Amino acid sequence: MSRLVFILLTILMEVGSCASSTQAAGTGDMVTSVAVFRAIGIAAALVGIALLFLVQYVYRSRLSHGMYHRLLLIGVFLLPLATTWSTSATVMEGTKSVEACNSCHVMHPFVNDMTNPTSPTLAARHYRNNWIAKDQCYACHVTYGITGTLEGKRDGFRHWVHYITNTYPDPIRFVGSYDNANCLACHQQTEKWSRVNSHRALLGEFATDRIACITCHGPPHPLPKERRAQQP
Amino acid sequence: MIDGTDESTRFISRRDLLKLAGTSACAACLLPLTGCENLWKRQPAIAVDRWEKGVCRFCGTGCGVTIGLRDNKVVDVKGDEEAHNRGRLCIKGLATRDILYSPSRLLHPMIRKNGDLERATWNEAMELVAQRFKDAIETFGPDSVAFYGSGQLLTEESYTANKLFKAGIGTNNVDGNPRLCMASAVTGYTSTFGKDEPPGCYEDIDSADCFFITGSNTLECHPIIWERIQDRKRSRPGATIIVVDPRRTFTTLHADLHLQIIPGTDVALYNAMMQVFVERHFIDRDMVDRYLSFQEGDRPRSFVDFKTHLARYSPERVADICGVSAAAIREAAFLFASSKATMSLWTMGLNQQVQGTASNRLVCAMHLLTGQFGRPGATPFSLTGQPNACGGVRDTGSLAHALPNGRVVTNPTHRQEMEDLWNVPRGRLSAKPGLHAVALFDAMARGSVKCCLIMCTNPGQTLPDLNAYRRGMEKAFLVVVDAFHPTETTIVADVVLPAALWVEKEGVKGNGERRYHLSPKLVDPPSEARSDLEILVELADRLGQGQLITARTPQEVWDEWRKISAHSEYNFEGITYERLKQERGLLWPCPSETHPGTKRRYVPGEDPLATGNGRFDFYGKPDRRATIWLDHQEDLPDPCTPEFPLLLNTGRILEHWHTMTITGQTPTLRSIHPDYLEIHPYDAHVLTIRDGEPVIVTSRRGEIELRARVTEIVRPGTVFATMHSARHLVNQATQAAHDPFSKQPAYKRCAVSVRRKAV
Repeated sequence: MSRLVFILLTILMEVGSCASSTQAAGTGDMVTSVAVFRAIGIAAALVGIALLFLVQYVYRSRLSHGMYHRLLLIGVFLLPLATTWSTSATVMEGTKSVEACNSCHVMHPFVNDMTNPTSPTLAARHYRNNWIAKDQCYACHVTYGITGTLEGKRDGFRHWVHYITNTYPDPIRFVGSYDNANCLACHQQTEKWSRVNSHRALLGEFATDRIACITCHGPPHPLPKERRAQQP
Repeated sequence: MIDGTDESTRFISRRDLLKLAGTSACAACLLPLTGCENLWKRQPAIAVDRWEKGVCRFCGTGCGVTIGLRDNKVVDVKGDEEAHNRGRLCIKGLATRDILYSPSRLLHPMIRKNGDLERATWNEAMELVAQRFKDAIETFGPDSVAFYGSGQLLTEESYTANKLFKAGIGTNNVDGNPRLCMASAVTGYTSTFGKDEPPGCYEDIDSADCFFITGSNTLECHPIIWERIQDRKRSRPGATIIVVDPRRTFTTLHADLHLQIIPGTDVALYNAMMQVFVERHFIDRDMVDRYLSFQEGDRPRSFVDFKTHLARYSPERVADICGVSAAAIREAAFLFASSKATMSLWTMGLNQQVQGTASNRLVCAMHLLTGQFGRPGATPFSLTGQPNACGGVRDTGSLAHALPNGRVVTNPTHRQEMEDLWNVPRGRLSAKPGLHAVALFDAMARGSVKCCLIMCTNPGQTLPDLNAYRRGMEKAFLVVVDAFHPTETTIVADVVLPAALWVEKEGVKGNGERRYHLSPKLVDPPSEARSDLEILVELADRLGQGQLITARTPQEVWDEWRKISAHSEYNFEGITYERLKQERGLLWPCPSETHPGTKRRYVPGEDPLATGNGRFDFYGKPDRRATIWLDHQEDLPDPCTPEFPLLLNTGRILEHWHTMTITGQTPTLRSIHPDYLEIHPYDAHVLTIRDGEPVIVTSRRGEIELRARVTEIVRPGTVFATMHSARHLVNQATQAAHDPFSKQPAYKRCAVSVRRKAV
């Protein structure tokens, strides 16, 4: 039994060190939450498979009936559950990255513009001035709080469904009203914002999104005709 | 249980599972009907049935809008991404979604009976108007009646009014509020290039490396153009912005160099800058040799004379006149001349001065002398205040001295051309220039003008030296056509007629960059309101001029007008209604239906009217050379004295437009009050005025009460008030002195005293 535990722990450590070293090679010394979730998931899956194999074919005769069933329960249910949790956490975290958005080709003009150091769009200015440190797409396309996260994930899922089923319109457009709360969360506290009379007069309109900040200060991304012009 | 036969312990039967799945699928399909669509995707904050393209109601930027309609009402307005404004709109543009449903809309005609305005029928009102006009014309001659229009009327309306009064009634008493707004830009351009309207376009902003913004608070007054300037600066941080403004406005906060000059000293400043051009060899000799001529008054001058003239304006000497350092003037001149492409932008700060024309043509001269002209980004460009002052009034010649397409009433050839084109007998058009705005209201006060038709403007608030000219309005038979009541003008009218507003009527507007674009009719006017064109056509019929006004719908009028333009250097015959319905406007000249429009005028290859192989062809001038004028800084009227020690400057703010008849009623904007007087802390200290205190501003003409705002935005020795509010009419204090060429009043400078209001 102690040998079984030793083998499983060894597998776990090997996988953990392997995952963290891969991550470190990719993005410097920073270990992201996505990497940790992924490592836990892979480890749980490998441990589960090893556990089932060992319990069934190597140690079965040496285990008591009760212990056999408990170990099967761990291998069949608990470790896969951890893998499932880790997979969803990885997907939820991983899709926040700019790279994840840019993995669909319709997003290339947006990301290219955002990373273009001479672009005057809102997205590019926020990016190059480091006003948003990471996950720049996600930061402005998700609203604060649990509802915001749900909406953001729902939008991402819908985009993905449209993308893989090839049912998206061309050119793509933002659906519905953009949530001003995303802008106001940072800007509303600044003196530069509050010295503009109309900002103060329009607070109610901003709160209900009946007037969008980007109408006066946009456009946040290149317009359809500008995106068309950029494409080879 | 283990073999699955124990039915009673099952959580759910197979049949129930299928039922549940089916119900869930149906529910998902019906989601949109339940109002829970937002579970699947974000929803718009304002629900809209359909979107239509249109044009903003407000300033001369002429932004494209998309208008959201629901149940045949305008409910939402957005910027049009396909138009030059790239989807942007300012706060006033956004507010247009509410303007049609303002509580102060005028819904039926009114006639003054026993001193009060009372409701009347259209027939009754038009009968009275026609009778009074006929009586005046028969008894006192055609010059006893007048039309006072607006840069907010549609082109078809201004054109029809101009034709009716000049070719029908036979008077040149046709003027309007563009006289108060753009007249100096007109005389500036025509004296330099021979033809009115800017040579460049908005697209030049995207290529300019130096912006010389003078007499314009672009950030507040043309915010969408300002954003485009900012875009250029964001893409190319090395681009410089020079701002010349007596106030430290929001625009100046973004400037690389701010010249905070004393109001009215522009001519000295521009001469000093040109002196630096000469001194530092920035003059484009090829321009001087081949494309420019020099003139002082009636006399031609040479380049040598010009240099002698400039010698009197060394930056060191001018520094004292303008109140800025000589180093700043030299730096501005260096930046202007040395950049790859310099674009000047200006508006009321230059135009509303006694030397408005001189200031305008000197800015043009700076571009011509340095060769900063006719290339992408290199152009002088006047910004316009009203949505259709350029297209509707300047191009149609709806001003007292003018005839369509740059013609003037004093030129017999021009009169004959128009008589032929309008199919009226030779000699029908009067050779006598009509009365310009200030003179017109003065004539009403003196009794020589008996009847005046005022459309789509509010002179009861906007004229300078208001107390003097309001008497004229009260004395004459005044017919006011407006969408709103009460205004400062409708309250003194004898007949008030309700007009359609914005998308309640169809017509073409011409914005600040020579772009003609179509404002469509999307909803019906409220109650009895009618379009201004319908009112003009009916008046023509009742005055017996029906045979002259044969075009009776907007499209008929436009077709007549664009065909007339083909006989001039304004040629826009190729801009048809069909094209305008498809496109986001076209820039004239545009002589054929396949022509894409003209971005830069006077450049062979770009401008269809420019000929030859040279760099430029200034075809507006007989010698095909643009004119550089030798203008001197003059002593200005209404000087400061110990009794009136401060200079009052007037202007506007971002959130309101003109006299607030529209924006003052908009739910989103009405809470922003413009009733304040900006005064420098130094002056406030001397006058023992504290921030927020009520103060009395007194000029040689009148006094007003405002609330003091102690701020360093203004220069010491100057104060500032907005022109918006009807609660405190700042024009009771301003002076009627005007530019000798353009007749545009000097709203930007008058001497006042300020004192604390006695409690």
